[in-house]
Amino acid sequence: MRPYRVLLFIASVMACLAALCVVLPGRISFGSHDLRWPTLAEVLTSPQPSPQGRESYDTDSIENTDSTDSTENIESTEVRDTIASPVIPKVSVDSVTDSRMFLAAFYASLAESSERVVRVVHYGDSQIEEDRMSQQIREKLQALYGGKGVGLVPLAQTIPTLSVRQELRMNGRFTAPAQGPRRYLVYGPKHDQRTDGLYGVMGQVAVMNDSLVKGSEEITAIVTPLIPTARYSHWRVFADTSVHYTFAGDTVQLSGRGAVYGLSQQSETGVIVDNIPMRGCLGLVFEKIDSAQLSTFYRRENVKLIIMQYGGNAIPFNKNPGTISGIVKGLRDQVRYLQACAPEASILFIGPSDMLTQEEGEWTTYPMVPYMDRLLRKMALEENIAYFSLYRWMGGAGSMLKWQEIGLAGSDGVHFTRAGARKAGNAVVEWILSPTY
Amino acid sequence: MDFITHILAFNSESPLLFTQFYFWAFFALVFSLFALIMSGKSADGKSRLHLRNVYLLFVSWFFYYKTSGLFLLILAFVTLSDWIIAKNLSPALPSREGGKASPRSKRDFSLLTLSVVIDLGLLAYFKYAYFFTNMVNDLFGTGFQVFDIFAYIGNGFAEAGRFSVDTIVLPVGISFYIFQVISYTADVYRGRIQPVKNILDFGFYVSFFPQLVAGPIVRAEEFIPQLYKPYRLSRRVFGVAVFWILNGLAKKIIMSDYLAVNLIDRVFDNPLLFSGFENLFALFAYSLQVYADFSGYTDIAIGVAMLMGFYLPMNFNSPYKSQSPQEFWRRWHMSLGRWLKTYLYIPLGGNRKIGFGTYFWLSLIAFVSAALTGWWWQILVPFGVFMTGVFVWDKWISQKASVERRKLLYANLNSFITQVLGGLWHGASWNFIIWGGINGIGMIVEKIWRGMNWHVRMVCISLLCGGLWLAVYYTNLPAWRLFAVWTSIIWVGTTVRYVYHLCKGSDNRITNGLSTAWAVIQTFTFITFTRLFFRSSSNLDPATANEVAWATAKNMVNQIGGAWSNAIIPDFLWEYRWVVAMFVAGMVIHWLPTNWKRRYRLAFSAMPLWLMVIAVCIAIVVIYQFVTADMQPFIYFQF
Repeated sequence: MRPYRVLLFIASVMACLAALCVVLPGRISFGSHDLRWPTLAEVLTSPQPSPQGRESYDTDSIENTDSTDSTENIESTEVRDTIASPVIPKVSVDSVTDSRMFLAAFYASLAESSERVVRVVHYGDSQIEEDRMSQQIREKLQALYGGKGVGLVPLAQTIPTLSVRQELRMNGRFTAPAQGPRRYLVYGPKHDQRTDGLYGVMGQVAVMNDSLVKGSEEITAIVTPLIPTARYSHWRVFADTSVHYTFAGDTVQLSGRGAVYGLSQQSETGVIVDNIPMRGCLGLVFEKIDSAQLSTFYRRENVKLIIMQYGGNAIPFNKNPGTISGIVKGLRDQVRYLQACAPEASILFIGPSDMLTQEEGEWTTYPMVPYMDRLLRKMALEENIAYFSLYRWMGGAGSMLKWQEIGLAGSDGVHFTRAGARKAGNAVVEWILSPTY
Repeated sequence: MDFITHILAFNSESPLLFTQFYFWAFFALVFSLFALIMSGKSADGKSRLHLRNVYLLFVSWFFYYKTSGLFLLILAFVTLSDWIIAKNLSPALPSREGGKASPRSKRDFSLLTLSVVIDLGLLAYFKYAYFFTNMVNDLFGTGFQVFDIFAYIGNGFAEAGRFSVDTIVLPVGISFYIFQVISYTADVYRGRIQPVKNILDFGFYVSFFPQLVAGPIVRAEEFIPQLYKPYRLSRRVFGVAVFWILNGLAKKIIMSDYLAVNLIDRVFDNPLLFSGFENLFALFAYSLQVYADFSGYTDIAIGVAMLMGFYLPMNFNSPYKSQSPQEFWRRWHMSLGRWLKTYLYIPLGGNRKIGFGTYFWLSLIAFVSAALTGWWWQILVPFGVFMTGVFVWDKWISQKASVERRKLLYANLNSFITQVLGGLWHGASWNFIIWGGINGIGMIVEKIWRGMNWHVRMVCISLLCGGLWLAVYYTNLPAWRLFAVWTSIIWVGTTVRYVYHLCKGSDNRITNGLSTAWAVIQTFTFITFTRLFFRSSSNLDPATANEVAWATAKNMVNQIGGAWSNAIIPDFLWEYRWVVAMFVAGMVIHWLPTNWKRRYRLAFSAMPLWLMVIAVCIAIVVIYQFVTADMQPFIYFQF
């Protein structure tokens, strides 16, 4: 073939494709499926290296600061996609005029940390798995107000964490957590749930000798903190009275039959921060947990701050604002429920981060993220709880792409990397504490 | 205007990629002028061919500039240096067929050494600076940081701070074109080819844009003669070229990118979010992805080059049809395999001998492994005993051994070194070295296994299997459990074949087919598990690559061996049905008989042109649906 015939072929293909660009309206729907084809303008426009909103993104806000917006006006629910000021203000607690004013009870309790434990419970979805974010909150609070120990861990840890190495032995044999005692999860699938609501404060419970056939198994949990300074030789075991236990060093021996709600290696004073991740959870499960159990724990363990970090799991599956607002309404109910269970504790709600999806082959922020962030913030302020907008702190729409580029977020456009989680955790704790400096 | 600017200006965020419209617009423009040059009655004349070569050289340089900016200077430098060195080698008689090349002077040897030092020095600087710095820091507790000398020099010419001196950026394609220039100088030295007289022709060979960024690695003796041949493109070859391009695009976008975005990346990023089954599926899918990605790219390169009348060597030959790791490496990235065999394995001694090179590299590998793991005596003592044994055997006993036995030992040692260094070529991270090492060990074990009789095989696999289950019983570590399950599967297969062998069953079509399928599946599984280390090291900041890569590999093994959940399998298969369908379709197509593939390729190439235009448009529309497909949302199956 002569070269001009090859050229003619190439030109014909391009002409046909260009004609399709003119003829097709961008997308044609066939039932639930779309046939997509770009318009000529889309083809000829130089591709933008960033998704929507990226132009307004300030790189320095990620790379040079761990602090966050401190100027949010509690009267205003307007969403701003840029960070107003990266500087941590030096203000006293009394003069806080943003939603941190609702943390006053927690701030006040820090004064008693030298005499007793002040507990912070950090609930969240997969974004806080592996002790992500909680670790930074714990480290900072313990550095300032004392306290040792990594807080609550489940008897059988199915998800390794960055803070502890955990092993399980049943009758002396190493056992994989999934093959350990029967677990029930308030946020799990139906067959993993129980009807009596007795999940304990972690929303999960391991039942020893659940099966009559199995007989009596002895369980040894070895929980070794990976951060030497976090180690403390005292244990709290939250379990039914029918479960007997002894502990020495990093090892807890348990026997008997009954529920184990969690183990906590902790000091007797200072701040203890519990990391309680609930994979795939929308955060609408607290009402399913027995209120007496929660109240008792919160009161006895002197829980002064409850952090709820949810919303992300609602985003990928819901394109309808009505559904999102229904979920936020559900979250409001959970907040009220926890307020009733822990009337003396402050509550901080952390909204979802920026989250990306692909549309027409381009990474872009899920449309519902800013909407949910706005609704959550409004809900928080109306319920007198503090609100931290991860989404706005990151820089708003498209900021997750920048986080990906600099290794702070994973390629799924949803989860932080460990470095990203560290950054976000530091930002949250700085934001919480800055009025106290 | 925006469109034109985008085509002409360098933008590090949007290089010219085969999968983007801008590359094809660029190619259409390039081909227009190419067609003009190659038209007319004197198109086959020498001057016209020279003009074509010069034109394509500048086009290739522009392509590289678009991809890598000022790193074009590095490409130009190695082109110039190797051209000058090869030109200054004294003329050599071509080597006799199958015999030794004519002897070379010390001056020639020094020139060859100089060329290799320059080329590998540049490669080491750009690709391995972080690796070597980290290694020195780990070994001696120092705190050295990399320093980009080229950026420093560049800042002397440009405004201060124009280039960052704190980071060394890897120029795109440097691993490929460095190997090409080494092969050229080495071939001239060996007398296999004559030096190229015209530097522009040589530059064209080094920089030819379809294969510049990701291969195939073209050897001078294969490509340079094509520079002087007139343009010939039969109707059939044209059709095949178009087919390769479409095939490559489909592989890259449908098989590779779709699987990566919707499952593989998210699992490898965060293995703990997924159950053991999901991790295992993602690992197998990654095997397909990496093949589709790489081979897709080279398919396009081969097709594009063919349209311009140049023939690039085949780079992949359905590698997952391999029945052994050794065969796999003959089918996978064939141009690299040939390069390593010619310029590393054979110079080391091949299966003929072991010499200083073999001892040196093995000792270095053992020393560095011991230093970095901290297992000094655990590694160096057995290694010392082994190497002493090898030395004694080679010097004093081997004469009494059979030729086959000698060959087996030499080939195993030299191929192990080749695999480890080949691993290092893929990336500057320990995981790549581990990956290369596992491949090397796999090849050796498989060769030894084939040499065993059935009784010994049965005893060995039974002992291994029993040992692993004992390890599971006493430690319950996920890694042991994983190996134990896999070994048990091999044990079952071996037992069936052993019993069949004892019953003196005869080979027939069915048993041969089953035997082939068994070998293919085992090889595919083995290669897939080596990918655990290959994928984990990709696309990472060199400073953190080792740590992250190791954590990812460990977490994946822990999940596969410790958090397996049969209950979620049906849910996963349903919710990820499109991803699963793509994977299954990809593997089925891959495993189709070669004849079938050849038939549909030829059928496509024989289409009338007007029908081919329609077929190409339909294929592109279909491929575009995958580019713009909605993302598979996150679904958690394990809590």
